[in-house]
Formats: sequence, structure tokens, C-alpha cells
Amino acid sequence: MNLRPYLTAFGLQWKIGLRYRIAVVAGLVAQMWFGAVTLMAYASVYHAAPDVQAPLSLRQAMTYTWIQQSFFTLLPLGCLPAIGDAARTGAIVYDLLRPVDMWNWWLSASLARLLGNAVPRAVLLACLAGPLAMLVGLGAWSLAGPASLISAALALVSIILGALLSATIVMWWNILTARTLSPLGSYAVGTPLAVLLSGMLLPLPLYPDWIRPFLLAQPFAGITDIPIRIYLGTPIPGGAATGLGLQIFWLAALTLLGRLWMRRTVNRLEVQGA
Amino acid sequence: MQTPPSPSDAITVSNLRKTYRIREGGSWRGKTRDIVALDGISFAVPKGQIAGFIGPNGAGKSTAIKILSGILRPTSGEVQVNGLVPWTNRIAHVARIGVVFGQRTQLWWDLSVAEGLALLRDIYGVEPERFIRNRARLADALDLGGIMDQSVRQLSLGQRMRAEIAASLIHDPDILILDEPTIGLDAPSKLAVRAFVHELCRDRGTTVLLTTHDMHDIEALAERVIVIGHGRILADSPFEDLRTTILSERILELDFHDTPPELTLPAGASETAREPHSLTITFDPRQIPAPALVAHVGHLPGLDDLRISRPSIDEIITRFYADHAA
Repeated sequence: MNLRPYLTAFGLQWKIGLRYRIAVVAGLVAQMWFGAVTLMAYASVYHAAPDVQAPLSLRQAMTYTWIQQSFFTLLPLGCLPAIGDAARTGAIVYDLLRPVDMWNWWLSASLARLLGNAVPRAVLLACLAGPLAMLVGLGAWSLAGPASLISAALALVSIILGALLSATIVMWWNILTARTLSPLGSYAVGTPLAVLLSGMLLPLPLYPDWIRPFLLAQPFAGITDIPIRIYLGTPIPGGAATGLGLQIFWLAALTLLGRLWMRRTVNRLEVQGA
Repeated sequence: MQTPPSPSDAITVSNLRKTYRIREGGSWRGKTRDIVALDGISFAVPKGQIAGFIGPNGAGKSTAIKILSGILRPTSGEVQVNGLVPWTNRIAHVARIGVVFGQRTQLWWDLSVAEGLALLRDIYGVEPERFIRNRARLADALDLGGIMDQSVRQLSLGQRMRAEIAASLIHDPDILILDEPTIGLDAPSKLAVRAFVHELCRDRGTTVLLTTHDMHDIEALAERVIVIGHGRILADSPFEDLRTTILSERILELDFHDTPPELTLPAGASETAREPHSLTITFDPRQIPAPALVAHVGHLPGLDDLRISRPSIDEIITRFYADHAA
């Protein structure tokens, strides 16, 4: 397969993601703010009930929060903006006129957009909340290092799988957008699902016992929650292998079903007018 | 109706049907109703021909264009473009066609024309030397020199359309599909687009399928006109034939300085409009030649002036649609 078109789609969206430098700074400030507020809330809760055996220690909860905030823009909040625009204007017909595999073409673009947004923020925030916070004496509130070198290596693999998984979920939003010819539905469905189920709002390990297995088994856990658990070395039932296995399972399942859904959609896509 | 595809045909269509199922009432409980967009059309376009596709809004033109471009699957019927079935070999098919939808943009708003063309080079896998050659040729023919480095959002409609046409041809397609390429353009831009398409067909043998509502496009470009209405082909002939068979009639306009008198007209002529100071008479020159008719009305009292005209292309088409209740 000739990879050139897909690398081109990737490069274009990566550049667009990087273009909004002010958005990076604004986002960073917002994420620092939310991170700090969340940390203070955890500190007071943990100090109010020192005897309770929480699934995450306070330090772990803080690190979990910082990493989640770092990767906020990695979440599949809605469709790729370019596809939303194309659906609205009808220019989406041109996407069907390109000699490329539509799935891989849109997936490359979606992945690039997520990474272009997330990578600069993640690096900056990790520096601010990690080494810099320690330097200025806020070590107790900082982003802690990985549990071990092995956890760090596995977490890296896991976050790459997480990014792919997120882009695959974005593909589902893209298809929804192509079907409804409006990006609004994808954001209305995608944002709350992603924020809630990824553990952004509350770390998934802190939910009640009975619901935790379900939360771990759903696809959104694979984006950031599983990589963070591996990084922290906190137990996933069955170990890191289960975490990586779940990610791979969802990646395969959502790709397979998504491709089927896309084929059905392309066959009935009826862009009105000339 | 079915003719075997000939190797010299770029496009063959036989008995093509498309039915849309629409839901009425909006909710999921609404009844569905079938709308027939194409009701069995057949035609073939030889290589190197410019074929004009015309018809009123909702006639099925766009549906046919989309099926030929490979972005819509028909309900039934057979289509071969360059020997490929568009919707089953989509990727191979679209690599060999160029499409311009006049009302949509394929270039990237945020990028310059040059950057957009470079992206298309990568998408279509055009080799670097061929790309440079094609880009120079298109920039020259479409006068893009001054706008290559401007971002697409800054272009005027005429500039943008020229850039769009360049974008559709950067990979040397054998077939160019133009869907209303002159819509909204000013007169010089329309002339430039027409001249370019004409040269493209003459110099490179590109087959062109053109839809338009501008009959001057058709008159200037198309060797052949396919008129479509109600999902059927109403006429398929050279443009001049269309003109003579549909509307050979002429119009005689008479101006009076007073109320026009009552008059009896010879066979083949009839009064079609009467106003306080003028009369319009429509006549068929095969039944009553123009000089005879002029001699007949020339002595009328109070006649100031008279003019004979042929109906405009728009009138021809309007009449044609009306005759076929399209």
C-alpha cells in the first residue's frame, strides 16, 4: 500500500493542530487551574477520612489527575473539525473522490489532529506539574514519576494504543457526522461520554466497587485510564497485560465494526444538490 | 435499448435507475416514499467528446453525475467509465477522473493554491516531474501565476474556480466531469473557463461531461446535448439539431403608434401576444417564409417598425421542458 496520501493527511492535520499556539497556552492555563482545584478537593477528602483504604493513594490520585489534564485534548470529544466543515458545506463529496482508503485517510487525519493538539500540551504540562513544581517546592502536589522503568515502558506502549483507540472512536464520530451532515451530534454525544468514561471527571479506580469492572471494560478506559494505571503501577485485575489486551481488543473491534458502518454510510451518502 | 460497449466509448450507461427512499414526517415512525431520480437512462460518450448534460432542477442530472463519479450507488443498471464500474472499483476509478463541483470547493481554505496542489500530488501519487510540468501548464492556461501563493479563502470566485479546475486536472485524468463550473462567474471568467475546456478537449483528447444551467456554456462547448427530465432522457443530439427540431419557429414583432388592428394571418403564423402598441406573431418559416409574412403585414395602418428574431437558447430550452412537462 502506498502510504504517501495517509502521511500527507497526517502532516496536514498535525500542522493545523500546532498552528493554534494561543489555544495551547489558554488550554494549559485552564488545565493547570482544573488540575489544581481537583488536587485540593482530593487533599481535603483524603485528609478528612484518613482511615479509608482508597484504591489510589493521594499521591497517585494527584499524578492521575495531572496526566489526565495533560491528555485532555487526546480525548475523542467529537468529529475531526475538517470533516464537520466538509459535511456542512457538502465538500465531503470530494473526500469520496480521492483514490484512497477512506477509513485510513480519515483515521490518519484524526490521529494527527489529536496528537497535534495533545503532544505539545502534554509535554508542557508534564514539565510544569513535574520537575518545575518540585523545583519551586510544591513536590507534594506534583506529578510523580512512574512506578518502575518497566511501568514507564509499558505505559508508553499503552498511551500509543490509547491515541490510536481515541482516533478510532473519533472515526465513529466522523461517520456519524457524515450520516447526519452536521458535526453537532458527534459533539453532543462524544464530549460527555469521553469526559465521563475516560476518567477525566473522576479517576475510574475511585468509582464504587461494583461498577469498576464495567468501567474498565468499556473502550474509553483504554485512552488514558489504562495507560495511567500502568504508569502508576496500580493494580488492574489481571495486570498490565489485561490493560493492554483490552486496548487491543477495542481497537480491533471498533475498527472492524467502524469499517462496516462506514461502508454502509458511504453507500447511502446522499449529499443533496449539485 | 442495450448497445454493446464500444472500446472507443469513454462512458457507457445502460438502463440506469436510482430510487431514493425518503421518510416523511421526520420521525422514525414516518412513512417512507420512493422518489425516482433516474428512470432507466442509457447513453454513451465517445472518447474526446464534450457532452452537455442539461435539465431543470430535480431532473436527475446531479444523481447521474454522482453515479458516474463513483460516489453514489445506483438502484440498478450498468455503467462503465474507462472500462471500470465506478461504485465497485471506486479507488481505481476516481484516480482516473477529475471532478469539479461548481458549488463546492476541493482546495483547502487555509492553504495556498500551490500547497493545495502539492497535497493533491501526494494523494494521487503524481511523479514530481509530471507534477511540475502539469502545474506549469495549468498555471499558464488558467492564468494562475499571480494567485499560486494566495490562500484559497482570499480568492475571488472566478480565481477560485480556475484554481479548482487546475486541482481537478493535476493528475491527468482521462475524463473531466464539470458540474456547473460557471455558476456565479462573471462574463470574462466564464469565457476563460469555456476556452480552457475547449482547448483541453482539442489538445489532450480529454472527455468532458458538463452540466450547466447556462445555455451559453452548452452553445459554446458541447458538441452534443443530453436533455434530461423526470429521470429520463428527453433528447440526445447535436445542439444545432436540437435548435431546429424543437424550435424552428421565428418571432415577428410589430410596433404600432396606435392600437394594433385586428388581422387575419396566413397558415403557419399566429398571434402570441398583444399589447397596447405592439403585436407578437410566431411563425414557422417552413409554412410561411419570412418575406411572405412581412409582405402580408407590411401594409397594416399605423405600423412603425418590425423585427424578426430567433428564439433565444433559454427560450428553446424552456419551451422544450414545457413540451415534455419536465
